[in-house]
Amino acid sequence: MKKILLLSAEVPPYTIWAEVLTQKGYRVEIFPEIQEAGERVFFSLPDMILVSEGLHPELVKDLIFALKCDLSLASLPILLIVDPEKLPRIDWHEYFVDDFICEGASSEEVISRVKLALLRAERLADNNPLTGLPGNTSILRKIEEVIHDDGEWAVGYVDLDNFKPFNDAYGFSRGDEVIRMLARLLVNTVEFYAGPKGFVGHIGGDDFVFIVPLDVADKVAQEVIQKFDQLVLNFVDPEDRERGCLLTTDRQGVLCRIPWPSVSIAIVPVWAGRFKHYGEVAAVAAQLKHYVKKVPGSTYLIDRRKEERP
Amino acid sequence: MIDDKRREVKKKLRTLKGLPTLPPIVAKLTRMIGDETVSAPQIAAVIERDQVLTSKVLRLVNSAFYGFPRRISTVSNAIVLLGFNVIRTLVITASIFEMMQSRDVGLWEHSLGVAAVSGILARDLGLENPEEVATAGLLHDLGKVVERASLVEDYKKIQEKVRNEGVTWREAEQEILHMDHAEIGGYLLNRWNLPERLVEPVASHHELKKARRFKVETAVVQLADILVRARGFGYSGDPWVPEPEEKALKLVGLDEKKLEVLLPQMEVKFYELKFFTEEIREALLEKNPAT
Repeated sequence: MKKILLLSAEVPPYTIWAEVLTQKGYRVEIFPEIQEAGERVFFSLPDMILVSEGLHPELVKDLIFALKCDLSLASLPILLIVDPEKLPRIDWHEYFVDDFICEGASSEEVISRVKLALLRAERLADNNPLTGLPGNTSILRKIEEVIHDDGEWAVGYVDLDNFKPFNDAYGFSRGDEVIRMLARLLVNTVEFYAGPKGFVGHIGGDDFVFIVPLDVADKVAQEVIQKFDQLVLNFVDPEDRERGCLLTTDRQGVLCRIPWPSVSIAIVPVWAGRFKHYGEVAAVAAQLKHYVKKVPGSTYLIDRRKEERP
Repeated sequence: MIDDKRREVKKKLRTLKGLPTLPPIVAKLTRMIGDETVSAPQIAAVIERDQVLTSKVLRLVNSAFYGFPRRISTVSNAIVLLGFNVIRTLVITASIFEMMQSRDVGLWEHSLGVAAVSGILARDLGLENPEEVATAGLLHDLGKVVERASLVEDYKKIQEKVRNEGVTWREAEQEILHMDHAEIGGYLLNRWNLPERLVEPVASHHELKKARRFKVETAVVQLADILVRARGFGYSGDPWVPEPEEKALKLVGLDEKKLEVLLPQMEVKFYELKFFTEEIREALLEKNPAT
């Protein structure tokens, strides 16, 4: 159940808003005292805050700033309730809020604004800024979900080989392009073979995770590898492509010939009862990665040990 | 010297809304997209047969939003990165030619022929990415589509001049627009952030010396253009076959002996293409018997 803090006087229309939101399945608490609410917020985070500007203009501004900026809770949705007559004078630069509700708003409008703000937060909260893909929180949640599912799934751990020297040779922005390319490639391939059942997350840097039904895992991995090797050429300078490698200097100042990035994929099959915890999945993936990394070029390995299977 | 006409044309190019596609191609693609058994590569194969859709797909994937500026030069690569849903939206929102003329189909056929022959020449030369050179060939006359769709008054004047004075399309363009279709196409592709290896062959296919980095690719497109005109596949605005530049022949290593080997390959391609172009032509006639 989503928890909403309503910081306002305990009078209509706020009490009515609280009532209709409760009917819609939200847990609503009204706090007429902003200081008390502040403490409450810091120690037990709600899913959303509705705060009335008129309650205490200065403190409201401070509280919002503290939450959004100091605690980096940018993903916590905050909606400011304002007197419509004040709107022309409000400088939105001073308020780090996600939306506003006018004091005279109907119950329907309040419900819609709340729903929308929560949806927006869900979409944005954990997403990687470079690729827009879900990050670690969502990845963990998704892995936990398939571990306890009855179906047979595959969790693929994807990363790049020789990415650092590539970054060193061409600079970070070219590196970012390759990361975005890999992200788009994973999303489209997973979408093609698994449709809405599939999932792609971005752990960070050049590390990605995908989750697909087990029976398409090989196909996804093969296609990602084949397409990546083809696409990466677009990001290598023509001179280096002709030479067949990148030239960089290592820490000793010695000139090295380095191949351009390739992709490694370790696939862990998951079925009901195989794992209890997502950490076990990652551990198996780490073992596989150890072998995958020894093979030069793009490659994938799927854990075929099935003896534990019921 | 300030050239008002050039300025006016460029201004129009900057505010260009969207180029129309042949209605039967859009209809075919819409049908394919609705059919669940059709795969992305099959759709790519049809998109690759239309210069306007191809330029749209490449424009999108090379845009700042997707984050691969000037990197992606082929439709197949673009589709892998954009995904099926984006392609679907692109096709559904494609605008079509309201009023068709049979020479619209002629120009489209000509472009297809040049794409095919560019690919054959590039493969024969052992160039690294023949598909990319074929794409440059497909787009080489995009400037003419722009004239037809967005510079309508000037287009009519050019047409009349070619008919009445017996000059080439390009000569008429230069007199009326103060620039030619190669420059128009190159200008747009450059604005759209397409890779230089596509922009240069399009912008310089009539003047090899303008090409700086991709001379061989440019020479390939020039010769492909001439070969397709000489063969009479499609129609590109006027009936004349221009003379190839010495330099182009040298860069591609094209002589009679080589032509003897390559011509049969080209004929096979033209034969294949005819099935597709006739299908599109018939669909057009059904809808629009006046053409």
